[in-house]
Amino acid sequence: MDASTLLLGVVVITALAFDFTNGFHDTANAMATSIATRALRPRVAVALSAVLNFVGAFLSLKVAATIASGIVESGAITLTVVFAGLVGGLAWNLLTWYFGIPSSSSHALIGGVVGATLIAAGSGAVKVDGLMSKVIVPAFLSPVFAALVAIVGTFLVYRITHNVPKSTRSRAFRLGQIGSASLVSLAHGTNDAQKTMGVITLALIANHTISPGAGTPFWVIVACALCISLGTYIGGWRVIRTLGKGLTEIESPQGFAAEGSSAAVILAATHFGFPLSTTHVCSGSIMGAGIGKRLAEVRWGVAGRMVTAWLVTIPAAALVGAGAWKGADAIGGTGGVAVVFCAALLFAGSLYLAARRIPVTHANVNEEWTGTLAPRKERVA
Amino acid sequence: MNQYVDIDSLWKVLVAGLAGGVGLVALFAVGLAGLSTRMPSNAASRAGAAGLAVAVVCFTLVVAGAALGLYVMLKK
Repeated sequence: MDASTLLLGVVVITALAFDFTNGFHDTANAMATSIATRALRPRVAVALSAVLNFVGAFLSLKVAATIASGIVESGAITLTVVFAGLVGGLAWNLLTWYFGIPSSSSHALIGGVVGATLIAAGSGAVKVDGLMSKVIVPAFLSPVFAALVAIVGTFLVYRITHNVPKSTRSRAFRLGQIGSASLVSLAHGTNDAQKTMGVITLALIANHTISPGAGTPFWVIVACALCISLGTYIGGWRVIRTLGKGLTEIESPQGFAAEGSSAAVILAATHFGFPLSTTHVCSGSIMGAGIGKRLAEVRWGVAGRMVTAWLVTIPAAALVGAGAWKGADAIGGTGGVAVVFCAALLFAGSLYLAARRIPVTHANVNEEWTGTLAPRKERVA
Repeated sequence: MNQYVDIDSLWKVLVAGLAGGVGLVALFAVGLAGLSTRMPSNAASRAGAAGLAVAVVCFTLVVAGAALGLYVMLKK
C-alpha cells in the first residue's frame, strides 16, 4: 500500500513536471510574434500569457479528456506505463527546448505513452486507426490549414492598409496583436492544461484512489493550472527566438494575421472536435505570414529543421517511453521507477546546465538572427 | 482514406478558420483604413466621418467575433 502511494506520488510529480515543460515550451506559440514585433515587452508578454493560461485551465467546462483514450487500449494502462510515457514526453520536450525547436507537447506525450504501451503490452494494445486519425493525419493538415489562413490574411491586411501611414499601421496592429495573442494564450490554457489533468486523473483511477466515474479532483485542476502557468512565465526563450526571429522576420501586421489565424483555427478545431496541435497551428501560421508578404522571407532551413523534428517527435518520445518502461521493469517495483525518475532528473539537469552556457533570455531574445539559435554577442568566443 | 480522416469536420474547420482568421483580420484592417481617413487634414470632412463610422462598426465586429469564438469553444 505504501509502495503504491509512493509510486502514485512519483507519477503525479512527473506529470506536473511535464505540465511545466508544456507551459514553457509553448509560450512561444502565443507570444513569439508579439515579442518579435515589440507589441509587448518580453517580460510583460510571458506574464500576460501565464495569467491567461491559468485562467484558461479553469475555463473549460469539459471534464479533462484523457490523452490516450482511443489511441491505446485502456486495459493496458498501468501506473508504470503512464510514468514511462510521461518520461518520454518530458525528455523530448526538454531536448527540443534546448535546440529551440517548437515541437508539439501533445505529440511528445502521446509518443511516450504509445512507446511504453508497445513494450509493456505488445503491438495489439495500440490502436493504429486512432493513432492515424487523431494524431498523424491532423499533424500533416494543421500547419497547412493555418498557413493557408495566414497567407490570405497577411495578403489582405497589407492590401487593405497600403494607404495607411506606416507608423500608424504598425502601432495599430501591435495593439491588435495584444488581443489576438491573449486569445491564443487562453485557448492554449483550456486545451493543454487538460492533458495533464487527464493523465493525473487516469493515474488516480488506475490506483483506485478515485472511482472511474469520478471527475477530476479540484486540487488536480489547481496544481495543473499552476504548473503550466509557472512554466509559461519562465518562458522558453529559446523556442520564442526561433519562432519570432528565426523562421521569418515579422512585422506587426503579419504578427496580427498569424495570431488571428492561429486563434481561429484552434477555436474552430476545438469546437468541431478535430484534434490539432497548438504548436503545429502556430508555427504554420507564422510561416504563412512570412509567405503572405514575400516568399523569400521564410528561412526554409529553419522550417525544414522544425518539420523534421515534428516527424521524429512521436518515434523519439516512444523510444524513450519504451526505454523508461523497460528500465523500470527490469529493476522492478517502486525502486525501478525511482531509478528512472532520478535518471530523468539527471538528464533534465544536464540540459539545463548546457543551456546556461549559451543562454537565451528575455534580454537577448530579439537579437538579430545569425543563422543559429545563439545570439551573436555570446558567440564571440 | 475515410477511416483515417473525418472529412466532414475537416471542411468545417477550414471554413470556420478562414471566416474567423481571414475575415476578422481583414475587418480589423478595414477599420484601420477607415480610421486613417480621419487624419488631421480632413478630420471634419464627410469622408472622415464615414471613415470613423466604418472603423467603429469593424472594430465592434472583430471584438464580437472573438467573443463568439471563445463562447463557442467553451460551450463544447
